[in-house]
This record gives sequence, C-alpha cells and structure tokens, in this order.
Amino acid sequence: MPPSPVPPRTLHQTLAGHVGPTHVVRYAKGAGKYVMSGGQDRTVRLWKPQTGSQIQVYKGHGYEVYGLSVAHDNAKFASSGGDRSVFIWDVKTGQTIRRIPGHASKINTVEFNYDASVVASGSYDATVRLWDLRATSRQAIQVLEEARDAIQTIYVGPTQIISGSVDGHVRTYDLRMGELRADCLGPPVTSVLPTKDSQTILACTLDSTVRLMDMETGKLLNSFTSHKTESYRCRACFDAEERNVLCGDEEGRIWAWDLVDGKPLGPGTTGPPKVHEKVVLWIEHHVSDNELVSASADGTVKVWRGDSDR
Amino acid sequence: MHSGQLKRKLADLGIEGNNPKLTESFCLIGTPLPPLEKSKDTGEFVPLWKQEVRDEQGRRRLHGAFTGGFSAGYFNTVGSKEGWAPSTFVSSRSDRASKKQARPEDFMDEEDLEAARDDRKLVDTHEEMDLLGGTQAELGTRGGDVENDSIASALESMIPSAKDSAGSLLLRKMGWKPGQGIGPRITYKQLILQDQQSSSRPFEPPTDVDEDDPANKHLYAPRDTKVLLFQRKDNSFGLGYNPGLNLQQSVDGRTTSVSDNGPNISAGFGLGALNDADDDDVDVYDGGSRGGGRRLAFDEEEKDQDDHIVMGRPGQASQQETLNRRPASSSTFSDGRPLLPGFVLSDKPVSEDTWFPVPEIPKDWTPDPRRVWSQDVKQEGKENVPAKPSFVHPSRRGAFAVTLTADERGAALGEARLPAAPKSVFDYLAPKDRERLQNLATTTSLTTVEVPDDSQVPDEALIPHTDPAVARAALSGFQPFTSNPDKQARYTSYLQSQASPGETALLPLRGQNREEFTHELREFAKSALIFKPSSGALGGRFATASIQDLGSKPKEGLYTPSVDGPREDSSVSETPKEPEEEPKRRAARLGMFGALTRETKPWAPAKLLCKRFGVKGPEVEAPPLMASGVAAEPEWKPDLSAGPPIGALGAGPSEETVAAATASFRSGPTAKKDISNIGLGDDDDQGRDVLEYTRPERDIFKAIFASDDESSEDEAETAPAATAEAAPTPSDLPESVPNNVPASIVPAHPSAAPSSAPLYEPSTSSTLGNTPVDISTFRPTFVSRSDRTKDAPSRKEQKEKDKKESKKKGKGKAILSFETDDLQIVPTRSDSPDKERRKKKRKKEKRDDGKVSEDVPMEDDDMWVEKPPPATVNTTDEPVVPCFPDADLEQDKPTKDPHRGRKRAVDFL
Repeated sequence: MPPSPVPPRTLHQTLAGHVGPTHVVRYAKGAGKYVMSGGQDRTVRLWKPQTGSQIQVYKGHGYEVYGLSVAHDNAKFASSGGDRSVFIWDVKTGQTIRRIPGHASKINTVEFNYDASVVASGSYDATVRLWDLRATSRQAIQVLEEARDAIQTIYVGPTQIISGSVDGHVRTYDLRMGELRADCLGPPVTSVLPTKDSQTILACTLDSTVRLMDMETGKLLNSFTSHKTESYRCRACFDAEERNVLCGDEEGRIWAWDLVDGKPLGPGTTGPPKVHEKVVLWIEHHVSDNELVSASADGTVKVWRGDSDR
Repeated sequence: MHSGQLKRKLADLGIEGNNPKLTESFCLIGTPLPPLEKSKDTGEFVPLWKQEVRDEQGRRRLHGAFTGGFSAGYFNTVGSKEGWAPSTFVSSRSDRASKKQARPEDFMDEEDLEAARDDRKLVDTHEEMDLLGGTQAELGTRGGDVENDSIASALESMIPSAKDSAGSLLLRKMGWKPGQGIGPRITYKQLILQDQQSSSRPFEPPTDVDEDDPANKHLYAPRDTKVLLFQRKDNSFGLGYNPGLNLQQSVDGRTTSVSDNGPNISAGFGLGALNDADDDDVDVYDGGSRGGGRRLAFDEEEKDQDDHIVMGRPGQASQQETLNRRPASSSTFSDGRPLLPGFVLSDKPVSEDTWFPVPEIPKDWTPDPRRVWSQDVKQEGKENVPAKPSFVHPSRRGAFAVTLTADERGAALGEARLPAAPKSVFDYLAPKDRERLQNLATTTSLTTVEVPDDSQVPDEALIPHTDPAVARAALSGFQPFTSNPDKQARYTSYLQSQASPGETALLPLRGQNREEFTHELREFAKSALIFKPSSGALGGRFATASIQDLGSKPKEGLYTPSVDGPREDSSVSETPKEPEEEPKRRAARLGMFGALTRETKPWAPAKLLCKRFGVKGPEVEAPPLMASGVAAEPEWKPDLSAGPPIGALGAGPSEETVAAATASFRSGPTAKKDISNIGLGDDDDQGRDVLEYTRPERDIFKAIFASDDESSEDEAETAPAATAEAAPTPSDLPESVPNNVPASIVPAHPSAAPSSAPLYEPSTSSTLGNTPVDISTFRPTFVSRSDRTKDAPSRKEQKEKDKKESKKKGKGKAILSFETDDLQIVPTRSDSPDKERRKKKRKKEKRDDGKVSEDVPMEDDDMWVEKPPPATVNTTDEPVVPCFPDADLEQDKPTKDPHRGRKRAVDFL
C-alpha cells in the first residue's frame, strides 16, 4: 500500500465574502469546480475555488443558512436554515424554485438523494423529513421521527439514509431491508459520512473524537482524537482516496489522521497549525483532487490544495 | 254530546240547524238543552287532533310544529310578537335622588304578583294572636308612627306574625293567661324569692314579709320567664358606656365593693358582681390614681400597691398604707392631691396574685452582676445573647418597663438619699435583697430581649454564639471566605468550636486587636447563619423518618459545592443522582461498540420513497424475521463482505452483486433437500407443492376465456391436466432428471436481454449434482422443443391451455407491477410449459405465502432491476452556471478509480 497522501495544507484561495460565520460549504457535483457556502448572513454564495472569485450570491433566506446540498446535475441546490423551510434554488437564475415548509424548528441539514427527486432535511425538531420534489405535494413523503434530539447531519445514500443526532445516535434507515439500525455513540453526533463502499461510516462527535464505525456490526474500527470539538458542529471527511480522515477543530485547526493507524498527520508534532481565526464549522474534501475547502466561524472559506498541485 | 247527537239526527232528517223553531224552548222543569247553533257542550267528544291543552289561565302553552311551534317563545314567555327587547338605557344621572331601589316586585309579572298576593293571604287569613300584647289591629291604629320608624318596622317584620299556637290554646284552656309564667301557683314568699332571683340585685332576705299580710293568703301565678332583651347598639360610644349617666351614677350602678375602694375600674365586658377587678380592668384613663400615666413593672406606685404583698409582710404593708394615707378624712391621696369627688381610697389592694417566697440566698453571696455576666458568656455561651455589657444603658431600657427609680439611681451613684423621697417597699428591704431583685429584673428582661450594643467594648473578646447544629450545617455548607484561605480557616475553626464547644479555643490573631477579633467572630456567626443550608433551619422542625434509606443518602437542601472546605465528605452527596444510564450509552461510553450499542428494528419506508430512490421496497409483511434483531440479521443479509460492494459511487448494485447475493440467498435453509431423486417416484416431496395448489373454479376460466367449442374438451381434460402438468410424465423423466444437466441451460427466458438484470438467475456456478439446489429454482421437467412435439394431442391441449393461462397471467400482471418486461406477455410456445410451470409455482407461492415464503424468499426480488444511476453525476462536466463568463468549460479529468485506494471494513479486522 502506498504511503497515505499528504493532506492538503497549502492555502490556495481564501473565499471571503460572508459576514459572520460560514456554516457550511459544499462542492458542486461532478468535477467539483465550484463550491457553495452558506452562512450566518442569510446568503448562499457560489464560488469558483480555482480563482477564488465569487460568482453568485443567493439571497432569500430570512435566517442563517445551516445546510446546503447540490443536486446531481448541478442545476439546483437546496438550502436550509433558521427559517424552517427547505429552499430549492435554481442555480442559474438564482431564484427559489420551491420553499418547503413543514419543520417545526430550524433545519440543520439538507441533502438530496442521488437524482434529486427527494430531498431530506434534518431539523432541530428531531425529525428527518423526506420531501418529494417530483410531485407538488406539500406533505413530506415520510417523516423519520425516531431521533430524540436535534438532527445534526444527514447522509442520503442510494439505498439508505443516515442521520446523526444530538441524542448521540447514528441511525441508518435501510430502504431495501426495511430496517432501522440505530448505533449509539454517546455524545452528540455532528457529522456522518460513509465510505464509498458503504461499509464503514465516519462520525464526528462532540467528545472531540472522530469515530470510524463498521456499518454492518456497529463496531468501532478506529477513533481519531487529539483535536477539540466539544460544542460546535464540525464535519469530518475522508480524502479522495479514503485513506486519510480530516476534521476541523474548534481552535481553527484542520486535523488529518491516517485512516488505518489513527495517528495525526501533518506538520509538526503538536498538531496542525491554526489556519482559521475561529472554529472550523465545515470541511469538505474534493471528490477526486487533493483539494479541501473549509468554512469557519471567522466568515471565510479557505481552499486548500496538496503540494502536488502547486 | 246530546245536542250533538240531536243535531246529527236533525241533519239526517233534513232539518236546518238554525231553524228558529228548533231553538224554541219548551222546558218547564230542569235545564234546557243548549241552543243548537252554539252548543258549548263541554262534555262533547272532541277528536284528539282537535283538542287543545290550556293552562289555568286558559292560554295555550303547547305549540306543536304544525301549530306555530316557532311562536312558542312568544306565546309562552316573551309576551310580544317582536320578542324580547332589552330596555334602552336611560341615564339616571340627572335624577339620582328619585331613583328607587329595585324591589322584587319590579321583576314579577302579573302571575307572580298574584301568587305572591295569594301567599300573603294565606298568612293573613289566620286568626291573629299577639303574645306581645298588641294585636295587628292595635298596631294598625298607631300605624302612622310605625311606618315612619324604619327600624321599628324592620324589627316588626322579624317578629313572627301573631297567631294562636296550639300550645297557647291548650294553656289557655288550662287556665293560663298571657303575661303569667307557667307552672303551679306559688305562695307570695316564693314569688318574692323568684323576683329576687330573676333580678340582678343582690339577695336580700325578705324580712319585711308579714305573716298576716293578706298577700300571704293567696297563691300567685309564677312570674313569666323573662325574654332576653338585647339593646341595640345605635350610637358610636364605646362598648359598655352609658351616655346618659354621669360618673357617679355609673359607679353607683356597680357593686359597692368595687366602687368603694381601689382605683377606678373600667366599665366593660366581663365585669360582673362576682368578678374580681383585675389589673387589666383598672381604668387606664383614670389619671387621678396613677402617678405617671405609665404602668411599669417596678414603678414606685406598683411597689406601693403590690410589693407589700410580694414580701408577705402585711403588717408592714398596712403600716405603709396607713402612712401613705392621710388621716384627714381620706380625701387626699398620699401625695397630697385631693381625691376626686365620688372616689374613695381603697382599703384593700386591687389584685392579689400568688407570689412565691424567694429562694434561700447563700450567705457568702454578694451581688455582682458584672461577674455573673462575664461568667455566663464565658462558660456557657449557649444562650442566644450576643455580647452583653454588665449593665444596660439606661436610655435603652425605658422601653422595656425596667427603669431605675431616682432613688436607685442615686444609690448607684452613691448619693445621699433625699429625705423627701417617697418611701417605697424597697426602702424597707435589705440592700442585698433589693439588689437581688434588681438583678432578677435585669436578667429576665435581657435574656429575652437581644439588645445589640456596640457602644460598649467588653473587656474580653466575646465569642458570639452559634447553635451547634447551625455550626455543623454551616461547616458542610457554603464556604464564604474561599478567597481568603486564612480567614476561611479561622471561620472553620470558629464553626468547629461552636459545633463542639469546649474543644478548641479561639484565639485572636497576632496583630489583631480584640475589637477586630470580636468583629470577625461576629461576622463569622452571621455568615454561619446565612450560609448554612436552608433546610437545616427547617430540618429541626421535622422528625426524621424511622425508615432510612440504605443507599447513599443525598444531602438535603440546596446543592452548595464546597470548594476547599475541610470536610470533603460532602463529595458523596455532591453529585446529584443521575438518571439511570441506558445500557447502550454506558456501553458506548466504555467503547464497547457493536451489538450493545446497536438497536435494530423494522422500519417501513414509504412506497413513494422507495420509488424515488429506485429501490424495491422491503416486504413489510416479514417483520417477525426482521424483528428478531441482531441475531436474525445475518440470515437475511446478503453476505456483502464476501462479494463486491454494493452501490459504490452511487451506482445501483451491479449485476454480479445481485447474482452473488441471490446465490447466497438460495443456499439458505432449503438447501438440504435430497435432490438425487427429485422428480422420481420415490421423491417424497414430489407434487406436494402442486397438489396443495387449488385451482380456481373452472367456470371462471370458461366464462372468461373459453369459446363454445372448447368447453366440451375442457370438461374431459382439466381434471387430469392439473396434476399432469406439474408432475412429470414418464416420458419426461429421462431428460428432466439428469444430474449433470448444467443449470445454465435452465433459464426460463432465453430471450431475456443479457444487458438487463437477470429476471431470474439460478445459482449459475453450481450444478445439480454437487450443490444443494433450492426446490423453487429447480425445474424437474425440461423438455426440449422437439420432444414436446411428440405427444401431440396432449400438447395441443396444453398449448391452448397455455394460451389461456398466459392470457390470464397477462391480466394479472397489472398487480405484479415489477414484472415489466414485455417478454412475458406474449410467451413463445417453445418455452411455454416451463414458463407455465414456473409461473404457476410462483403463483402458488404467493397464495400460501405464510407457509412457503420461508423456503422461497421473495422470488420477485429477482425480477427487480435497480435503476442505473443518473448519468450526470460522475462524468458531466457541463458548466454549472453557463451564464458566467469565467465558468470555463475545461474537460474534466477522468475520475480516478474509486476502488483504488479504498479500504474496507475487513481491512481493519
């Protein structure tokens, strides 16, 4: 096995435009040439990380934006936040196609399924609601009410929906099996991300631990510590080859671990340098390149690239 | 009624009813019949529908729906066709004076008024009898002034209206007259006695009764029992004050024994002839007999009047009294003021309280109150008295009825006694006794009253007292001086000394003078009171439950963390009892992830959701298998870890995945069949499934499909065909049971496009010979096309039947929505029997789902094809926002092989 790739540590661009914390940043689908970010300033912004230019600002939210999801064809995206509705936007025109009310509280996360026919939204009201985008029904297809506390994160796979909740559970709704597997992790779960083979799942919890769980048995495969996530939502992700695990930090650092041995990677022995002024709220790795975007409470989105691209 | 009959008869005869001749009366005796035209014969029969119900007033009260039901309200209650109208507001502002008070009569209608009148009449019709001596008639004569006096009329109304009761009637018959008492007649003597008893006058023996008095010769009716008369309090004077009388008269009205001597007794309740005049009854407003107007416990005046009793020396007291009293006609008080007219000086004291002799005093005892005080404070420190000076500031004492007389003050100052000073009892006491008394008075007042006194600094530092319980509570409670550890330590030691007195001695710090030390200790005492747990104060009021909890007992009261208190035992109760931790959370906390932290339960995704996800939804009917949780899971789960992963990169499961999954499926519980003799005669299971299958009614088929000419054929054929179809004919056997027939030739739909997912794919790699084969997938009769042509007659029927069956299948297909390939709709003849059999089998399986579904786990799964992923996800490189000029359209690099660097769960195991 070749040595694990060096995590992207070189600052490529800083996408500054948001006023106040940037809660979420997502890559566009496909080649991932664009990123979208949503923040406290009630806007969603479209960037081109290559040049660092801001392409579009989507204004329409009345409250802060917590969740974003880009459709498979990059034609539309969904956003959610404090205004308890899921907004479906047309990327090109910058208009909302639909606004889907129904949640009782702010919506922390939103996610399309693979062909953007369904959008799932997870809210502070402890429910995941699945909305049909093909029909114009105002009712949710299904409401997943098993969680006992706020939903922080959703992953929508081809046959399963995975939700992470503040009640410390990762719930896997298997559509094909008709089965719900609830894995108790204990502390609040802020992000879930399965590997591409859907065998393992990476969960970031608020006890400053990122855990790699076996999806089939629910066993702990590896845990990654020594960073600090205790009160803010942060996301952990894999790199493109799924050999490293990356996670932001409340001190503004971006940590990287080797997936297998769980040791922190990166420059220095005392941990990675502080790259953001404030807590890192979201990181996302490019689907194929050695590129990483991170959103922070200091209002910036930073694009990081590996040394090889330099 | 009779008139009615007569009328009818006359009508029959053709005679007009209004013929005047008919009305002519010929009656000489009795009552003539009523005239015919207006016969009001009340007894006449009226049919039910003509009858009307009327009330006493003759009004209709019942109105049915056909007789104006809606107007029931109008007729019955409202009284006007317009209904009830609220009275308009009329301002009474201008004529407030003329506003009358509303009477009940204002709200009565005529009926109510009448009823009220009737009620009054019921009373008035009775015979009047007035026990009080005035009949109604009499009252009527002087009615004018009665009317004027509103109070009198009100009282009048309270008196029950006079009437002769049965009892009074009886009594009258027995000789009683109004105004007399009841009982046997009595003698004059007895009568006088009775008069005296009834009066409040003191008993005077009727000495004046003469034996020869003619009054003695008669018997008298006893006096009537007095009616209790209450005087109405209609003035604003105080209770018991008689405004008409002057002082002399009011005094004379009382018993002479009281009014003769002593101070004025306030007239009031509770003072009867036999009551002793108490201290409380002394008229406080009577200034003459009192010296200062204040009543003090140890007044001179008090001493004058009371203390001589205390000392139990009546002789001296009387002497004193005689001294005080001027001999001159006792018209002046002891201080020379003249007595008020009408007052006399009392010979006896007003009250006699019980006093006890003072205890024996040790010989060597000398009064030194200062010593007593310091001793008290030093040794016990228990009394809730802060630092006390040895004597109390006089200015503070006035309020508490402890005053030093001028004499005492003088004595304390060492002055010579003034000669003109009025003598008191104290003067006659030994100085020792006097001082002791003084002390007694001082201490008793001081122990009950806390007098904070900062003006006097005591000689030694006085340690303020804290109750031991409070001190203990405060020890375990909040520690207020944590910022100053030294002070905190001193605080703690103070509390400890108070909690267990006598163990530790408190010493002032070096460099801390006494005043500061005392001040600090006082602060400590205060903070101990403040910071002790509040329930400590209440806790003393409740008895502890006798049953004690065996577990760790949580501390009562507010949780107050002790930061660096010396007693860390509170840490036991420091953490409030957490709710019982869920086992899974505990397991998660301990890192024991896996079965303990996982919870599996069935979940039914909405159908639409499955459709949108392109996923064949699960059979929700199979929860018993699902619900068994973790243990049952591996059975049903395709062995994913063995095969290639499903759904990588968002694509649906690849074909080989499904194949592998199904293969592992098939090697399930049904794999144990002995297949060596399948289809043979000694196959136990042969035809079992088939025979259980109940065909639908043949008539149904006929009605739907059969043409007329076919019907006869079917009649003859269907019965054997049902079995012959499934059970292989002997001619089939040689070819149908070769053990080495590769299963790859079995596929039922040879024309099925290989590109699409296999509709049905049996275990591809296994042969029948060495691998267990699912019975559901095994085809015992495989007949080649050429063979099938041999037995023509039966084949022909078979074909026709096939046609019918396939038609039926085609119809039924609408229900099985997932069988979407058109291949099945028009079956080729060549593969029809196979297909027929398979379909039939499937149908059967569906029928008795409960029984067989375990053996055949959802064959329909095979028919379902996962949707290919949308094409754009991985490869598109369309510009996201083509309208932006800088959105370059560079070609995407080919995506890297997703499998390249991937690690799977097995890598970690």
